[in-house]
Amino acid sequence: MIERRNFLAGSAAAAGALGAVGVLARPATAASTTSAGAGAGTASPFRHGIASGDPLPDAVVLWTRVTPTADSLPGSGAGPRVAVGWQVATDPGFRQVVARGSTVTGPERDHTVKVDAKGLAPGTPYYYRFTFDRTTSPVGRTRTAPAPTSSPDRLRFALVSCSNWEAGYFSAYRHLAARGDLDAVLHLGDYVYEYGTGQYAYGRPNTVVRPHEPPHEMLSLADYRQRHAQYKTDPDLRALHAAVPWITTWDDHETANDAWSGGAENHQPDEGDWATRKAVARTAYDEWMPVRLSGTSALGDGVQVYRHLQFGRLADLTMLDLRSYRSQQVATTDLGAAGDSARTITGVAQMQFLKDRLADNDAVWKLVGNPVMVSPVLFPPLDQYVAGPIADMTGVLPPDGVAYNVDQWDGYTADRRELVDFLADQGVTNTVFLTGDIHSAWACELPVDPGTYPLSRTVGVELVATSVTSNNLDDLTGSPPRTTSLAVEDAIKAGNRHVKYLDFDSHGYSVLTITPEETQMDWYVTSDRADQAATSTWSTGWCVAAGSSKLTAARGAAR
Amino acid sequence: MTPTTGMPHGGATSRRTFLRAAGALGGVVVLSAAAGAPLAAAAGARTRVYVLVTDGCRPDEVTGDLTPNLYALRRAGTWYPNARSLPVMETIPNHVMMMTGVRPDRSGVPANAVFDRLEGAVRDLDRDTDLRFPTVIERLNAAGYRTGTVLSKKYLYGIFGTRATYRWEPSPLVPVTNHAPDAFTTDALISMVDRVDPDLVFTNLGDIDRVGHADPTGSTTLEVARTAALASTDQQVGRFVQHLKNTGRWETSVLVVLADHSMDWSVPTRVVSLASALDADPLLSGRVQIAQNGGADLLYWTGADADRAAAVTRMREVVGAVAGVLSTHLPADLRLGPEAGDVVAYCKAGWRFSDPAVWSNPIPGNHGHPVTEPIPFFLAGGSRRVAFGAVRTDEAHTVDVGPTVGELFALPAPSGGYDGTSRL
Repeated sequence: MIERRNFLAGSAAAAGALGAVGVLARPATAASTTSAGAGAGTASPFRHGIASGDPLPDAVVLWTRVTPTADSLPGSGAGPRVAVGWQVATDPGFRQVVARGSTVTGPERDHTVKVDAKGLAPGTPYYYRFTFDRTTSPVGRTRTAPAPTSSPDRLRFALVSCSNWEAGYFSAYRHLAARGDLDAVLHLGDYVYEYGTGQYAYGRPNTVVRPHEPPHEMLSLADYRQRHAQYKTDPDLRALHAAVPWITTWDDHETANDAWSGGAENHQPDEGDWATRKAVARTAYDEWMPVRLSGTSALGDGVQVYRHLQFGRLADLTMLDLRSYRSQQVATTDLGAAGDSARTITGVAQMQFLKDRLADNDAVWKLVGNPVMVSPVLFPPLDQYVAGPIADMTGVLPPDGVAYNVDQWDGYTADRRELVDFLADQGVTNTVFLTGDIHSAWACELPVDPGTYPLSRTVGVELVATSVTSNNLDDLTGSPPRTTSLAVEDAIKAGNRHVKYLDFDSHGYSVLTITPEETQMDWYVTSDRADQAATSTWSTGWCVAAGSSKLTAARGAAR
Repeated sequence: MTPTTGMPHGGATSRRTFLRAAGALGGVVVLSAAAGAPLAAAAGARTRVYVLVTDGCRPDEVTGDLTPNLYALRRAGTWYPNARSLPVMETIPNHVMMMTGVRPDRSGVPANAVFDRLEGAVRDLDRDTDLRFPTVIERLNAAGYRTGTVLSKKYLYGIFGTRATYRWEPSPLVPVTNHAPDAFTTDALISMVDRVDPDLVFTNLGDIDRVGHADPTGSTTLEVARTAALASTDQQVGRFVQHLKNTGRWETSVLVVLADHSMDWSVPTRVVSLASALDADPLLSGRVQIAQNGGADLLYWTGADADRAAAVTRMREVVGAVAGVLSTHLPADLRLGPEAGDVVAYCKAGWRFSDPAVWSNPIPGNHGHPVTEPIPFFLAGGSRRVAFGAVRTDEAHTVDVGPTVGELFALPAPSGGYDGTSRL
């Protein structure tokens, strides 16, 4: 998230005018690279890559987009209706094809293809590909979820969030694609950004590393389709989609900044009807992402993205939607309203769904894909030098400091109290919230009563993945990484003792390793976002032992 | 050891043998034995099974720093990190579930305290006649094995009575808590193993739990006392393990280590008293008895049978509206038998029931409600029957101990089968 008005004010002061923002001299599209079998050049009908997602024990969603004619461009509404074949095999040479089919796509669905390949065996690696007009797509790899009663020794998920095209290259995806040991990628939201070019880019100078298409803020269905299509031309993104099934949920930027059920900070009256905008954003998401909305891969039959996936008896994953049903964020002049029990971040039905999933399952680990932070964070009084940039990053913190970031669960404390009490009252163990949104890395314990922590019982932990590219604190202060932010981090940890780890500066990705005895999150930091060949370094790891709800620092990356 | 014979004890009339042994603490450990039981250890290689209950221990309290012996046993053995106690999360019913392998609707033991309709009073289920289902103890005896009970709490000694071949009556008892300190209990366990070496010994170590119940002074003191109790109990477990190793028994031993329930803490302002709410209702006033079980209250309708259905509905309405009450249930839905009455009420985490008055239950540590379900549960020992270094994802329960012990001795399932599952 980003508070656009604050940010624009700051950048205008710095740069004089929006038109002054720079554009790095790099190609805007990058379809020529091939890696991990995702190659699909600009002339290929499969130039937007292939993907799989939402693995079940017997099924997985397969996705691609075809460009059957030169004019069948994303968002154009042009082009013919065509048939596309698909195959699933147990070998990369497709000698053992176990499922196949054909489906029709066309301009009515932006030439996207999404099928639910069923009848597969649990816990099994598969290869898949599409065929169109005697052309075969690159081969993708995927994996079904383990059988519900099975007991996997280990699961390994990547965690990513906040991938802003204009802020840099998606090197995090490239490094993840090269690992070869992932069961799934969890994207926790802000997969695409809605801004027009130059509105929100790289660091304090607001440098556009590569410009958005369309160049204006996305508003119409055609806009959202084009933007999704552009992101899918990123070679690193395509490589990771081709290598591993993804499990995604949306946060605000898939529609507009700081979205709530009835609007968004970045939705103005002259931008049309909010409900219409939200609907077209959901349509494009459904078309372009390997996800089951309302439980199916079909389009137009519902927009419920909160859902549940099971990985044997080892882990249970509930993905949340914290934008579609939430009440409006409280005004910074009325923070007392954050605790109003009439306000909600989940909505009534989703809260019940979540509680049912947490209590009514026998998996050791209860994972919650949680787009915005649930841990309480009291911001201490801060120096103006950093308070302004934090306000930009969190979107809602006034520059003179305030108690809470009210776009997170901190702004909906009645819902959090209900959830935390539920976890405590029912003795739910081993709950792990997996979070994105905040462009920073956190490891927190979740106390029943933060005021008496560490005496207070903890009901779970929260592990927050940082942004792939979106700006964080050092980008906005203009300081070298790990300099001025350190004092802020120390101040926040001192005032919030359940916060065990905080890195306000780094970009990258996380890897979650789950075994019956413990879960470990490893944070990997990527080098300069503007470098297409950015490197990756292990930064830190934090563990939670089964039954403990307590975090301990890891000695090294999980093996 | 000085055998004596024929001394009746505790009101029971069966003939027994008494064994006296010196304990490490300098005292004398007195064991009783069934009439005709051999007074020496059996020879030959065989599997020895020790069920060790660390009463009231929470799973997050088993750590390398706090409880190094338990932690090492868990790491080396077969750990079930997803283990839970079963309703009502109290000591007596869960010990009974361990030894029977069946739920309370089959054993007759749903809680620590019930309202006895025949006697017209609330009482503990501490009589051996309260337990109606055959335990693995008796069934092993019938199969020619020898069994022992070393139970630190007076009421556990009461309900298991003279079932085991060898019994230790907890002594000395700490006033108020009515339990023997773990050092004495472990002395008794070691003495029993040394002298008569039963095939199965069922042991309860009560200190961890009793610290929670005994100290009403506040959370800071409690934290220190709890930590001390955990460290002390862990030392006793370590002493027992070392003894098994020193005496060459370790390679044939299986330890089933678990808690009967965990523990929740409340402050004096978070107390639920249902009596006044029930008395304020015209239908219920004077016609409901309450058996208090820490975080669970059992409610008994004592009015006319014809009014029972309406009364149950009303009780759930009235009780459900009281601050601090988490939920109400019909006993059958929790697999509790008629002994549990008509309605079960749970309190929320951080609260406790105190009936009939708010000052009736002054202790901060309570259990019985769902927050106290998670428990440590692991198998350990040098026997090849234990999978070393394994972590299992299955949800294990206290009721699984019976079938686990049964499988270790190839004992047939009881009539009607087990409600639990072997966790070997």
